[in-house]
Amino acid sequence: MSGIELKNVTKRYKENKFEITALENVSVQVKAGEFVAIVGPSGSGKSTFLSIAGALLKPTEGSIMINNQNITDFDEKQLSSVRLNQIGFILQTANLIPYLTVLDQLLIVKKMQGTVTKEDKAFALELLKDLGLENKEKKYPNECSGGERQRVAIARSFMNDPDIILADEPTSSLDTDRGHEVVQQMAEQVKTRNKAAIMVTHDERMLSYCDRVYRIVDGKLSEEVRTQEV
Amino acid sequence: MGLALKELLYSKGRFIMIGLIIVLISWLVFILSGLGTGLSTLSTGVLSEAEYSGIVLEEGSEFSLSKSSVNRSLTEKVSEQEGVTDTTPMSIFRNSVRKEGAEDAEDKITDIVLIGLEPDSFMEPNIIKGEAWSNSDENQVIADESLENDGYKIGDTVVLDNTDKELTIVGFTENKTLYHQSALYLPMENFQNLRPSSPDDADVEETVSGIVVQGTDVNLETFLEDEENVEYGTKEETIEGIPGYVAENATIMLMLWFLMIISAFILGVFFYVLTNQKTNQFGVLKAIGGSNGFIIRSVISQVFILSLVSILVGIGLTYLTVLALPESMPFYLESNMVIIYSLVLLAISVLSSLFSVAKITKIDPLTALGRAE
Repeated sequence: MSGIELKNVTKRYKENKFEITALENVSVQVKAGEFVAIVGPSGSGKSTFLSIAGALLKPTEGSIMINNQNITDFDEKQLSSVRLNQIGFILQTANLIPYLTVLDQLLIVKKMQGTVTKEDKAFALELLKDLGLENKEKKYPNECSGGERQRVAIARSFMNDPDIILADEPTSSLDTDRGHEVVQQMAEQVKTRNKAAIMVTHDERMLSYCDRVYRIVDGKLSEEVRTQEV
Repeated sequence: MGLALKELLYSKGRFIMIGLIIVLISWLVFILSGLGTGLSTLSTGVLSEAEYSGIVLEEGSEFSLSKSSVNRSLTEKVSEQEGVTDTTPMSIFRNSVRKEGAEDAEDKITDIVLIGLEPDSFMEPNIIKGEAWSNSDENQVIADESLENDGYKIGDTVVLDNTDKELTIVGFTENKTLYHQSALYLPMENFQNLRPSSPDDADVEETVSGIVVQGTDVNLETFLEDEENVEYGTKEETIEGIPGYVAENATIMLMLWFLMIISAFILGVFFYVLTNQKTNQFGVLKAIGGSNGFIIRSVISQVFILSLVSILVGIGLTYLTVLALPESMPFYLESNMVIIYSLVLLAISVLSSLFSVAKITKIDPLTALGRAE
């Protein structure tokens, strides 16, 4: 199965003498072509969930499978390589590199893998075009609007042709219209490019684009039963 | 490399400021080095600018030509020793001169060092103006150009103090000073006539300060065993034997290396602050899969480019400064010293950026998930 699977994942933090359980026995499976949302209030464990799914943090218990490969016991170097080759991150407030043009933001991913070929450049331009960013490729992040920046971040997350797309509150800095636009385009890309995508959000308006919705409260995950398909 | 260069060009203002610091430091290093070498050339030029292996001197002279006198007849014997390719007797004598016809006290008296050499020997100075000795009858001298700055010209006749003997300047050479005094070179034959001597000193004609030796792997052991009252000093020892040279040189070197060490810390702190400011960016790069190696390479190549350009600008400024320095100020910058100090400065700035490297490896990619800005 290509996709991502978390099995019985628990994460505990030690804070002073108290132990805080950020995630408790969480299991979730996302297949290629699925767009899943995780919704919850702040402090519910969303970020911890995303960090573990994104190979940034190790769980206390449980295991993570990416494309049927168990990455639970990988060291920092292997995790870095998993992030580079198999995961596309869309970070909150885009988090673009300020001194790179829109096109270079995408190509840097290829550069970190080794070299940038002509095909990579063509692919980057195609992604930018798909996301409505043609003619913006020479602009710097500070010359782009918030929505444009977030779309650049989406394009960047697809650049390494990952199997998993993880989005951390992609709409948090956008107004409703821009938010819809961005999530809609993200959903489109996930479908056309057949990726397994997880979006962490607290923005209820965006859930209609997702195939499944999970609620997370105090570290416990539960799937929302939807009354109506969109 | 691409990332490093792109950031340099994008954040010009910030990097120009750091570059400026490196420019100023390298400028100061080169100026100080040039002044230091200039000063030591003033003290040692006659010896340090000549090519020789060592000098046979009188025993107990502490490798100082001015304290030594040996018999020139030893020259032949020295020539026969292992490794010796050429020899020449050399005499020095400190005195002062004034211009002809200006005997009143008002006129300037210049301290000089008279140097007696065999014509056409390897110690003979190169001529930059005028010509070499042509007629040994006329007490012709080749003077260091510092005398020209004091107002002496080719064709001028100078009077040697106390002896009232006259010398005519026929040519000028460069960087030939000893004991901070200008050198006046003249043929050995004439030199011996000028030297004040006591009448009972029978072989004054035969006495010279030392015998300069040229060669490779010179081995004078058997010669030194046979002869009494002589010793052999290498080029280095004879230069260090010049009174005041060691102390003078140590002062300059101490300043120079202190400057280097201080600059290492200043630059280290600068790069560290710069890296600190970019923690979030590096976090993002790490989160999307950038390895430590990728980021560190990028940071170091950035420091390298910045330092290289700044040092080159520093070198340019130094040579411009030289044009503006007054003639009387001794400044002597050897290009191999420029290369050595440039490499040292480059190494210092790259090494000082290693503080930041330690920091980079500790950056947690999780920072990228944090509420940035």
